[in-house]
Amino acid sequence: MSELFLELKQAIIDGDEDIAEELSQKVIDESINPVDAVQLGLIKGIEVVGELWKAGEVFLPDVMMSAEAMKVGLGLLEPEIAKLGMSQGSAKGKLVLGTVEGDIHDIGKNITGAMFTAAGYKVFDIGTDIKAEDFVLKAQEVGADIIGASALLTTTMSAQKEIVDYLKEHNLRDQFKVFIGGGPTSQAYADEIGADGWAESADEAVALADRMLAK
Amino acid sequence: MMLPKYNILTQEQVQIIHDESIKILEEIGLEFDYEPALEIFKAQGLKVEGHRVHFTREFIEGKVKLAPSEFTLHARNPEHNLVCGGENIIYMPGYGAPFVQLADGTRRKSTMQDYDNIVKLAGASKNMHMTGGTVAEPQGIPDEIRHMKMIYSSIKNSDKCFMGSAEGRERAEDSIEMAALLFGGKEVIKEKPVLISLINSLTPLKYDERMLGALMAYAKAGQAVIVASLVMAGSTGPAALVGTLALQNAEVLAGIALAQSINPGTPVVYGSTSAISDMRSGSLSNGNPEAALFISASAQIARFYGVPSRSGGGLTDSKIVDAQAGYESMMTLMATSVTGVNFVLHTAGILQNYMAISYEKFMMDDEMAGMLLRYMKGFNFDEDGLAFEAIAKVGPGGHYLSQKHTRKNHKKEFRTPQLSDRSAFDAWSKEKLDTNQRANIQWHEVLANYVPPALDESIDKKLLDFMAK
Repeated sequence: MSELFLELKQAIIDGDEDIAEELSQKVIDESINPVDAVQLGLIKGIEVVGELWKAGEVFLPDVMMSAEAMKVGLGLLEPEIAKLGMSQGSAKGKLVLGTVEGDIHDIGKNITGAMFTAAGYKVFDIGTDIKAEDFVLKAQEVGADIIGASALLTTTMSAQKEIVDYLKEHNLRDQFKVFIGGGPTSQAYADEIGADGWAESADEAVALADRMLAK
Repeated sequence: MMLPKYNILTQEQVQIIHDESIKILEEIGLEFDYEPALEIFKAQGLKVEGHRVHFTREFIEGKVKLAPSEFTLHARNPEHNLVCGGENIIYMPGYGAPFVQLADGTRRKSTMQDYDNIVKLAGASKNMHMTGGTVAEPQGIPDEIRHMKMIYSSIKNSDKCFMGSAEGRERAEDSIEMAALLFGGKEVIKEKPVLISLINSLTPLKYDERMLGALMAYAKAGQAVIVASLVMAGSTGPAALVGTLALQNAEVLAGIALAQSINPGTPVVYGSTSAISDMRSGSLSNGNPEAALFISASAQIARFYGVPSRSGGGLTDSKIVDAQAGYESMMTLMATSVTGVNFVLHTAGILQNYMAISYEKFMMDDEMAGMLLRYMKGFNFDEDGLAFEAIAKVGPGGHYLSQKHTRKNHKKEFRTPQLSDRSAFDAWSKEKLDTNQRANIQWHEVLANYVPPALDESIDKKLLDFMAK
């Protein structure tokens, strides 16, 4: 059994989606404890990748492929955990991530999502051109800690403010942290619109989230 | 006489890239998120499934042939008319930066004042052929009127050619209206194009509504468009330089085909700003040899299609005006110039992958542009250039400094630097100014001395009235 968890861990380190899927299915088919598979297999794997990333020994493709493999594994094992009524063991935090209304650029968002996944967060990527209310709806649905909004254009940045305003108007402001990012944004802009956080790179965003969510 | 353009690919290699692009266009196709564009393709018998359009070799090759190999852009002052294409090169400032980098190393948001200033610096420059487009993003100006304020500033502060807004159909139409007011009507500018605008694909293999709306408006009005692709190899394109070129090429060809479908003969420019992604941050990185390769190849590929090219500029990853900014920008600007790129956005002022514009960098790049214009002029082989009579007169020993020939010719043959310091060490040591500091002094001087060419009062009023609506 621990052999299987080691293999799952390796599949994550190798960024192998197919093997992660195969082994996760095996866990289900052989009625092995799925919580253990996640904690001792998938998460151990992603932790190794996180360390290698910090040490500068792996690159974005490595991290992103590991994050994808992680998602595939969780995609199979989380429903199983829910079905069995077991307790999941929490992720470090939950992040709803999207590109704001009117903006269709997503590469920065995708990289940020992968880095958060690699750091042990549960990421809900809702895509591009997303209205303020849809960010909030998703955050409520999943019980998110952070709403992350990306914008690449100076003309769509204002939509980041709309998210903050929407939360205020609906008395939800203190329920979620709002992080913003993207080329034309800055700390000054984040302060101006009342966002909780801003980061220039995915790494810094993760570090900021770690600091902010730690109690 | 201009130096011949340098080709970096063999004919076979260019053909391979073309064939790869055709394969992409036929087998994979592109997505156009704009119904009017899809209708145009459907009407011509192309296979369209949802937003996905599949092209054919005949269609693409036929459309590209309709694009002119050269066209003239008309300026408020006909002395500043520009021929785009062929042996010509057109330099202009950086485009689209949201921040301004200051000489002391700090950064702030760009403003309308910065826009005005950079238009003026470009207007004053001997080396900038036109004042460009979004030379700085005037972030304080409300979105709805920003494009009009920018065009008004370009018109008011210089009589050189300028660019239109590419932010969707309506803003393109506003740009066309304002240009028509300046030049005497839409029919006038349809015959003699005055605007050129930057239309970007959404890599990989897509075009969005905003860009398509603008492209179609300009094509209908007979104004020129740059159809540009920026592939970030490794993130929005493959981690392979040739594959990236094929991908970029497919996107640009599709856009050119659309423009020619709307209005056969629409002046188009083949645009590329492809570069690599840094594999740790995911950021675009363009102060490097890969960027220089993409620039050089794009110039040649455009020649293969018989259309003018846009690429390159003084590009750097540096945040400040330091040695890195110097050597990276010179590599990319030189590659741009000697391989025959025709239309050069970002010649001057741009820093850190298009993130910031700097007045000091503008002056430094302006010097580089001047150097390259002189370089490309090459040699003078006439009698004065051969100088046999002078050589005979001086003979063995002696010197040329007091010869009539020298007095007559040195200004013609030798360029006078604008910014570079050539003084001896002691002279330089008096103030010990570096490039950044000299550039800072210089732009202040240029702005203080610049007088915008007077704009006809009735036209000025018409423009202001238009913007007030």
